[in-house]
Formats: sequence, structure tokens, C-alpha cells
Amino acid sequence: MTDITASLSPARQPAKPHRHGGVFTRYGFFLLVIAVFIAFAWLRPTFIAPGNIHGMLMSASIAALMFLGLTWIVAAGEIDVSFMSVAALSNMIVAGLVQSGSGWALATLGGLAAGLVFGLLNAGLVAGLRLPALVITIATGALAASVAAAIGLGTSISLSNTGFVGSILNLRLGVVPLIGVIVGLLYAISWFVQEKLTFGHYIYALEQNRAAVVEAGVPVNRMLFMLYVLSGLVSSLAGVLLAANLSSGQPYLGTSYFLDGLTSVLLGGMALKLGKPNVLGTLAAVIFLIGLLNGAALLGWTDSERQIVRGSLLLIGVGLVVFARSRNRGRAHT
Amino acid sequence: MISGRLIIRLLAFIALVAVIAGLFWTQNAAFLSEGNIRALMRHMSVQGLAALGLTFVIVVRQFDLSFPGVASLGAMTLGWLIASGMPLSVAVCGGLAAGIAFGPVNGVAGARLALPDIVTPLATRGLAIGFSYFYSNGTSISQNFFMSGILDLNDRKILGLDMPFAILMAAAIVGFVVLHASRFGRGFYATGENRTSARFSGIPTRTLIVAAFAICGMMACLSITLLVASSGAANVTAGNQLLMPAFAAVYLGAALFGRPSVGATLAGTLMMSTMLNGFTLLAIPYYYSDAIVSTVLIAAIALFDPRVSGLFRTLVAKKDKTA
Repeated sequence: MTDITASLSPARQPAKPHRHGGVFTRYGFFLLVIAVFIAFAWLRPTFIAPGNIHGMLMSASIAALMFLGLTWIVAAGEIDVSFMSVAALSNMIVAGLVQSGSGWALATLGGLAAGLVFGLLNAGLVAGLRLPALVITIATGALAASVAAAIGLGTSISLSNTGFVGSILNLRLGVVPLIGVIVGLLYAISWFVQEKLTFGHYIYALEQNRAAVVEAGVPVNRMLFMLYVLSGLVSSLAGVLLAANLSSGQPYLGTSYFLDGLTSVLLGGMALKLGKPNVLGTLAAVIFLIGLLNGAALLGWTDSERQIVRGSLLLIGVGLVVFARSRNRGRAHT
Repeated sequence: MISGRLIIRLLAFIALVAVIAGLFWTQNAAFLSEGNIRALMRHMSVQGLAALGLTFVIVVRQFDLSFPGVASLGAMTLGWLIASGMPLSVAVCGGLAAGIAFGPVNGVAGARLALPDIVTPLATRGLAIGFSYFYSNGTSISQNFFMSGILDLNDRKILGLDMPFAILMAAAIVGFVVLHASRFGRGFYATGENRTSARFSGIPTRTLIVAAFAICGMMACLSITLLVASSGAANVTAGNQLLMPAFAAVYLGAALFGRPSVGATLAGTLMMSTMLNGFTLLAIPYYYSDAIVSTVLIAAIALFDPRVSGLFRTLVAKKDKTA
């Protein structure tokens, strides 16, 4: 009887991996990242050339920015699959506005406004009306992607100047781009909020048992509302940065970030706190993925090999989380 | 078996489609021409097959985001088998087998290992897309297509119906019997409503969830087979266009008829295809189609949500009182 009920609702098991898990399960992922990077550097010395490191850090910062809101939403047990399309939309709005003669300042505001609108739309429908998050964000994501394509009449818009956003992106401290430092600081603040403040503990608690959090008097809907608005805003900010970084507006930019985003969040959830998405894990996973793809390209892997590696990574991440959970449960029983 | 409420919903649906069709007809008289209706039915067949498969997964209250990737893999498997000179039947079976093989991976992971049902399909989708690059490293396959007779799947007619529509009807009848006229089908609904009580009633819930994912994968590959037959080439992004319309059709149907079912999905598909076809005739560019579909989808979910419609009812009641 207990066996059956336990196997029916394992997601609700009070997992305490950070108490049971040893050093390896806790920091294993970081060791893996380091091992892979050393392997690439050994096989292809150009991998650690300053230019390459700078490029990797640049794309990792923008991607990490885009996935910040998503991390918290997934940590709270909800889902948002519209983040990459919101980024694409804001990217196209910036490109469209700059091309039509408005300055970068106005264009940036326009892009962020799009993120705010879609964040509010998701928040209103999912947190406000309590509609199913997955289907709603699939739909809003498709809406954003469609509008993005319509702005460029189905093709990309190339930009002649990258304005002040471009000059911010070009600033660098040694091999580290300034934007990388800013995103790093942002992640440090987010880490503090998620791990040290009550707000962060509520996020974790939401995933474990929403009813209990509601009963405890936490304004759950208002929290989810904030999380979705935040996700829309950071995604659109990433879209604005991408417009300057690529010096163009790419309407179909979203597709490449979709799997990467979810892979990073879930793979990162495996690090530090088994099965619980957290910002440090996401950051490490983003760096890992970017490094892996970059190194794989240097080694001359084909598209299909890289795609399979990405899909397998997500499966392995999920599988390890479940393995760790069931092992902890086994220990709890004995 | 047919209750009064169902008849009202059915009449409301027919009226809605008639109004939509009427509006398009006034804008462009070609909308109701035979050629266009045939084109509409063809479009509906591809979307409908994918949506029918998804219906089973939605009925057991799971989500399958992997079928676009699986469908692409099916398309590439089919294309590769044809290009390497296999007979058509073997190629089609090979394509479907890819779908049947991938579906249960999701189902087993979700039902037996209790992985989150959103994550695993995403992982298998990435995996399936990766495998679909294997055959030709990403380029589209169209060798041998004329010789193999796959184009007949799109062009031939059966009993006056276009082949794709006939396949959709056949699939819908089989689906209807399985889901609505068998114990098996009752089990799907029971699993979706309350998995624990279904399990204690002796329903093999895990097997049914695996079966639902397998059906979804197979139907996605069947639908992509028709798409490949009509376009004459298989490529790795073929499946991506299936995701939105399939979800929209199932949810729109469920919103119109109160719960997901084979009939509701067909109705939802018919409505989506009518709208997309109409807007195409009005020369609205292709990139707006997703915006139309998603707006309709959001509206359908929001308006037919019991709490929102309840809010409307109380508002109307208040108005009546004040008036």
C-alpha cells in the first residue's frame, strides 16, 4: 500500500539530497564541466585562445540572462516555453525600430516593452486566471514568434550600426566581456535571493507542495505573477543584446535557444541541489553547453552528433535526478 | 447516448463554422468552390491525424511536446528508405515504426520512472531531431520519390474522397471505436481523471499511458507521411509545423465540447483549417498563421475555463437583476 502510493507520487517526496548526497553528487557536475573543458583545451589549444574564450563568455552571458527567469519558474514547479520567442520578438522590434530611423534608446525601450507585455500576458493567464501554464505559454510563444516574423516580413533585418548597446557589449576587462561581469553580478544577487531570502524558500516550497504554501498564507498567485513578468523582461533584455551582438534581427532565433534553455535549467538543477533548479546550476550548465558546442565545432563534429549529444545530456540530467531521488528514498526507508 | 447538451453544443459548433465560412465567402467567393474545399480537407487531414494522436495523450492528462521531433525522424526515415529503393509499404511502415518506438520512451519515463511529463518529451525530442540528422546530415531527401508511388498517397482518390481525407476518416473511426466504444478507452479517461482510483479499480494505468504516447508518436508519423507525400521531399524540420495546430485543435475541441474526444478534436481541426484556409485566400502572409492559431487557442482556453464562464454567468445574472 505505501509502496504503491509512494510510487504514484514520487515528485512530492520530501527529497533532502543536500544532506544525504556526498561531495560527488553535490559538486559532480562542476567537476564534469572542468573535466570537459580541460579535455577540449588539451585536444584543441585554440579552445583556450583569448578570442575564443571571449566569444564563449559573450554568448554564455546572453544565454544565461535569457534563462534566469525560466530557472525560477521551473524551480517553482511551473513552466514557460515562450521565453525564446519573447527574446526573438524583442530582437526583431529593436531591429525594426533602428532600421526605421529611431535611435537605439527608443528601440531598446520598445524591445523591453514587448517583454513586459508578454510577461504580463503570461502572468495574467497563468497566475491570474490559473490556466494550464504549458499550453498557454506554447500559445503566447507562438504568438510572439509570429509577430516577430511579421515585423521582418518573414526574413531577417540587418543593421548598419549597433548603437550604445553595441559599445557596451564591446567593453571588456581582459578576456571577460563587461556584460559577462554584469550578468555574473545579476546571478550572484539572484543566488542570494533564492538561497538566503524567504522569497527564494517560497519558490522551492511551491514546487514541493503548493497547497501547503497557500495554506501558510503566502500570496502564491502574486509570486507567480512576478516570476512570469520577470521571465518576460530578462528574455527581452537578452533579445535586445542579441540585436547588437548579431547586428541584425533574426525572427527565427528562438528555436536554437528553446532546447538549450530547458537543458540548462534541468541539467543545472542536477548540480548542488539534486532536482531543484537553481541559478548557480543554470549558470554552470550554460557555460558547459556553450563550451561543449564550441569545442565540438572545433573538433569538427557534425550537426547530428551535436544534436544527439544535447538531447542525451537532457535525458542524462533528468535520469540522474530520478536516480538520486530513488536512492534517497531507499535510504529513508531502511 | 447523445444527450441534449451534446446536441446543443453540436448545433452551436455548426452555426459557428457556418458563420466563419459565410464571412470568408462574402470576402472571396472562391472559398466555397470545390477545389478550395478539397484543399481545405487535405490540409485538415494532415493536422487532424497529428491532433488525433495527441488527443489520447491529453486524455490521460499528460503532455507530449516530442511529437514534432518524432515526426521529423519519421519523415527522414521514410525518405531514406524510399531513396534507398525500398518498396513503399516497407518505407511507410519504417516511418511509423520510428514513431511507435519513440512514443513509449516518453510513456515509460513518465509512467514508470515518474519523470516529469514535460521534461522527458523535450529530451526525446532533441534526441529524435538528432537522429533525424543522421540520414543525410540535415539536407532534404527527395530521390526516388516519383518512382516509389508515395505521391499517390496524396493524389489518388477513394470513393470520391481524396486519399488523405479518407485516411483521416479511417483513423478517426478506429480512434472513435478505441476511445469511446471500448473498455480500453474508458480506461484512458479514468486514468486521466484520477490515476490512483483508476489503478485501484484494476485499470493498467501505466500501460495505458505508454500506449497513449505510442499512439501519439505513430499518428504524428502518419500525418508527416501525408505531408511528405504532398510536398515530395522529406526534411528535418518537417515536424515543427505540427505542434501548434495539433495542440490548438485538441484544446479548441475540448473547449467546444466539454472534454477532449475524437469528435471534439475533429471539430477543432475543422475550425482551425477553415480559418487558416480562409485567411490564406484573403492573401494574409504565412507568418501570421501561427498568430491566428495561438490567439484562437488562448481565447478558447480562457473563455471555456469553468471559472471564467462562471464569472460571465454571474455578471449576466447581476445585469438581469438590475434590469
